[in-house]
Amino acid sequence: MTDLFLLGFFAVFLLFGLKRPFLWVCLYLYVDILAPQKMGYGPITSVPVSLIAFAAAFGGWLMLDRKTRPTFTLRQAIMLFLLVWAWFTMQGAQFPVEASEKWDWVWKTLVFAIFLPFTVTTRLRFEAAALVMVLTAGAIIISGGIKTVLGGGGYGTLAFFINDNSGIYESSTISTVAIAIIPLLYWFTRHGTVFPPSLPVKLFALGLAGACLLIPIGTEARTGLVCIAMLGLLVLRESKHKVLMMAGGLLLCVAAFPFLPQSYADRMATMTQADEDESASTRVAVWEWTLDYVKDHPLGGGFEAYRANSFTYRMPQTTGTGNMTSTTYEKVTDEGRAYHSAIFEMLGEQGWPGLGAWLLLQALGLIQMERVRRRMRKRADPQLEWLGHLAIALQYAQLIYLVGALFQGIAWQPFIMMLAGLQIALAIYAKRFDSPREATIGERLAAQRRAGAPDAVATGPAPLR
Amino acid sequence: MIDMLVIVAIHGLLLLAGYRLMLREDLDEDPLLETEAEAEVRGDRAP
Repeated sequence: MTDLFLLGFFAVFLLFGLKRPFLWVCLYLYVDILAPQKMGYGPITSVPVSLIAFAAAFGGWLMLDRKTRPTFTLRQAIMLFLLVWAWFTMQGAQFPVEASEKWDWVWKTLVFAIFLPFTVTTRLRFEAAALVMVLTAGAIIISGGIKTVLGGGGYGTLAFFINDNSGIYESSTISTVAIAIIPLLYWFTRHGTVFPPSLPVKLFALGLAGACLLIPIGTEARTGLVCIAMLGLLVLRESKHKVLMMAGGLLLCVAAFPFLPQSYADRMATMTQADEDESASTRVAVWEWTLDYVKDHPLGGGFEAYRANSFTYRMPQTTGTGNMTSTTYEKVTDEGRAYHSAIFEMLGEQGWPGLGAWLLLQALGLIQMERVRRRMRKRADPQLEWLGHLAIALQYAQLIYLVGALFQGIAWQPFIMMLAGLQIALAIYAKRFDSPREATIGERLAAQRRAGAPDAVATGPAPLR
Repeated sequence: MIDMLVIVAIHGLLLLAGYRLMLREDLDEDPLLETEAEAEVRGDRAP
């Protein structure tokens, strides 16, 4: 039944795309985030929905869509470099089988992120892409949020659509993504046109934001709490009444505390007792191991290089309660511990060149969005207010992701690469308002046709490019 | 049960969004940018 429903949805969206090929791009965003082919057990598992959606998105853009001044930016060049570099490091990977499994989805993620800015060329396309991303991730988040409220949460036990603790369904990753989309939700309540900001839309956005905040509680992912703290700081930055906001936030935390499950409070407490927590202890050990590893492998060890690590350490084990506690030190040996940080993931797998390129990609994104935000504020054009606000939302989503990425290996996370693709498209779009006289021949011919001025191209004031 | 309800609801919203987007001309032609280009062609802008 689920299979038929999902296949029906997929088919209808494919039909929509016949009139507007950009909807196929949206369909790929949906497939790549939700992975409907993994949600069913019947016919949908044998249909290559991802391949069909990508072929439709790319083919539709190539053959049917209007191509408005395709621009290849520095950030796309960096992504292309990362793609080539990842392929290069994979050739000498220490674990070639596991490395090729990761390569299978990483290259698709990068190719799509490079391609996305070519397609997102109008205001409504930004909204459409962001809406599909938020609603699709929202499906996972709402379901998780409801289960959390009903008591189905717990570390590693909160069930999502797919019984697979990987990709966006991994507990820390979904916690990070959930918090990262909250700024986008806010944008929709002010600038949405597909679902104009009416009371029901605002209530839905509020409910979804609530579900987003519940995900870190339901998954008991400590990274999620750090991301919420980051979101709080960003809200303070925007707020005109900072003291009032801080007091309100504090009050909310105090009021919410009695409702939090004990297991959540216990797990969050381990953040301050890293010595007694295996996960936190091994994290630091893996990071040290990675730094040693790149001394011998400065160009990286290829995907999944962390599998080579192994270390033994002594960890304190406290038993008993109250005043009758005793601490013993036990030897713990860990092998193949994951990086638990996107920075060390890039360093270990792609070496210094890969880490440098990734950091540059992220830094340029933050800078570009800040520039767009400031330019739009300076213009003070009410028609372009949405643009500046979208730049803020995308920048904040990235900042929250970067904070989360400090503690989990999500350097290639597709959802975040899609956000990067949107950022690139937004920077290109905003630039067109700064230099409107640099219209291309195609654009000016199109404008000429609409204006019915046959000699306008030859006599126009701007130089043809 | 919860999963199925959420799946149906969100896919319903996605279909509604897709349908509304399909009907909108400005998905392919941006009125803001067209205005700039047209103004340029008409020679409204200073060189």
